[in-house]
Amino acid sequence: MSLLKPFSKLPGLNTANILLVENEEQFQQKLADTVVLQEKTVNVNVLARSLPLPMENEESRPRIDLVVFIIHLTSELSFQSAETSLKYLDPGYFQGKVCFLVTNARNVSVPPERLVSVRKLAASLHCPLLCAEDQTTEGVTTAAHRLLAILKVAAGLVPMATGLYLSTLTRCTVPSDIDQQNFE
Amino acid sequence: MDDSTKRLLQRLMRRIPSQMLQTILDKWAHLSREDLHSLDFTQPKWVLTEHLLALCEENGLRVKHITELEMIYIIENPNQGMWHGFQLLDAEEDAPSIELTQFKEQFKANLTELISHVSIKIKKHTDEAIWIRVAWGDNFTKPYHLKPTYVVHHLQTPYVFVTGVTSKHKPLLNQALVLATRYSSMKDAHLSGRNLTAIRDLLMRQYQQVFPTKHPKPLQEKNPVPRNPNIEKEQAENTENRLQMACEAFGDGTLPQLQKAVYKLETKFRDNSNKTLTGREEPFRGVVEFASTNLLESLRHCVSSGMASTPVTPLLSSITQKGRNYFVITDKGV
Repeated sequence: MSLLKPFSKLPGLNTANILLVENEEQFQQKLADTVVLQEKTVNVNVLARSLPLPMENEESRPRIDLVVFIIHLTSELSFQSAETSLKYLDPGYFQGKVCFLVTNARNVSVPPERLVSVRKLAASLHCPLLCAEDQTTEGVTTAAHRLLAILKVAAGLVPMATGLYLSTLTRCTVPSDIDQQNFE
Repeated sequence: MDDSTKRLLQRLMRRIPSQMLQTILDKWAHLSREDLHSLDFTQPKWVLTEHLLALCEENGLRVKHITELEMIYIIENPNQGMWHGFQLLDAEEDAPSIELTQFKEQFKANLTELISHVSIKIKKHTDEAIWIRVAWGDNFTKPYHLKPTYVVHHLQTPYVFVTGVTSKHKPLLNQALVLATRYSSMKDAHLSGRNLTAIRDLLMRQYQQVFPTKHPKPLQEKNPVPRNPNIEKEQAENTENRLQMACEAFGDGTLPQLQKAVYKLETKFRDNSNKTLTGREEPFRGVVEFASTNLLESLRHCVSSGMASTPVTPLLSSITQKGRNYFVITDKGV
């Protein structure tokens, strides 16, 4: 099985690499452009639709420091594709090198169960869950800013902080009464 | 001018949007220059209509002039109402050499033979299309101008586009067209939509088509968008393949605007989890309808973004390959 391994390659000097995985391939391009714009020290964004990544690029691909799964809550397929891609990640990634990014969380037409299941998934994997707004430039900039913050820690560019440490602070939690939520 | 003519003009004025009014009246050319100048186009439309009515009365214009105005308006804006495509079959030897005057005479003669009270207007548009307006009456009443039928035909092609024909008059129109164009029969092309240009482009294959190639890399002369060296796309080949297959099935660039695709299923029900419905002898009748403001664009996006699996199923690609949007699917095939 072609698992993506976190520590099998050497890190580069002053570089941090982020892998954006999105089934629809729309938000990831905007996000990648903004991230590259915001941070001038070299960082490479790698965009993919789903894992596993093609074998041909195995040699030339840099070491991935952070894997971000972009899930559009308006589509069930988005969630399912992210779930199946999770299987191709080495467990080493789940110690602070994986993040979930969710869009359209405020949308009324989205069934609330989907957000609940994403939260449960993120909580079971001890990963942070970010909500982003992908239609405006401010939303994209904010999301890029937050991702960069996590990326810098995950790549080891922030002294005294590691990905594992950060993830214990930022990981998603699901309150126990989330199944009985009602809005009366 | 009698009442029905007045009503026709009033209805027509309500239909024509104010921005186009001046250009269409200019094209009509039945009002003298002074009359046209005397019309104040900044007034509300009902005032303008009254004024126009008065002018027409003065000039003694009759029904046939008003119908000409309507025809000019429809030719300028053909994308309203529901157009249906028909195909002529089995050309006779002199079919390719039919030219305009011959067609006109034949059509008029045939139709007036079949139904005596009918009003026909034939006009040739600049893009080689013949427009025919038919108002139907029957043996006792005069032609009813408020519900005309429009027919568009390009000479030397076997395609005819019709809108506004009732089932009563359809066989008469068919017969007249078939005789006038020297073919032996006409069949329904199963293509309909609101947009005449779209239907015509689809049937006559006038949209930008993409043909399968063995070397799908883009031409070197095209300037590629400068790609940020920091951003790498892992599955770019898959994306390109999907886009190529989508364009092969549906075409490139702007696509003809179709609104619906209807699949009528007459196949047997096949689902092992449902015992009551499977295994019956009669087919399970169902209708699947795809609707959109621009159906082909949506389908192409579905395929290129991966929502529909590739290779494109022939059920979808036959919309463009066969030029129809109404299919009956039986167990043996389409």
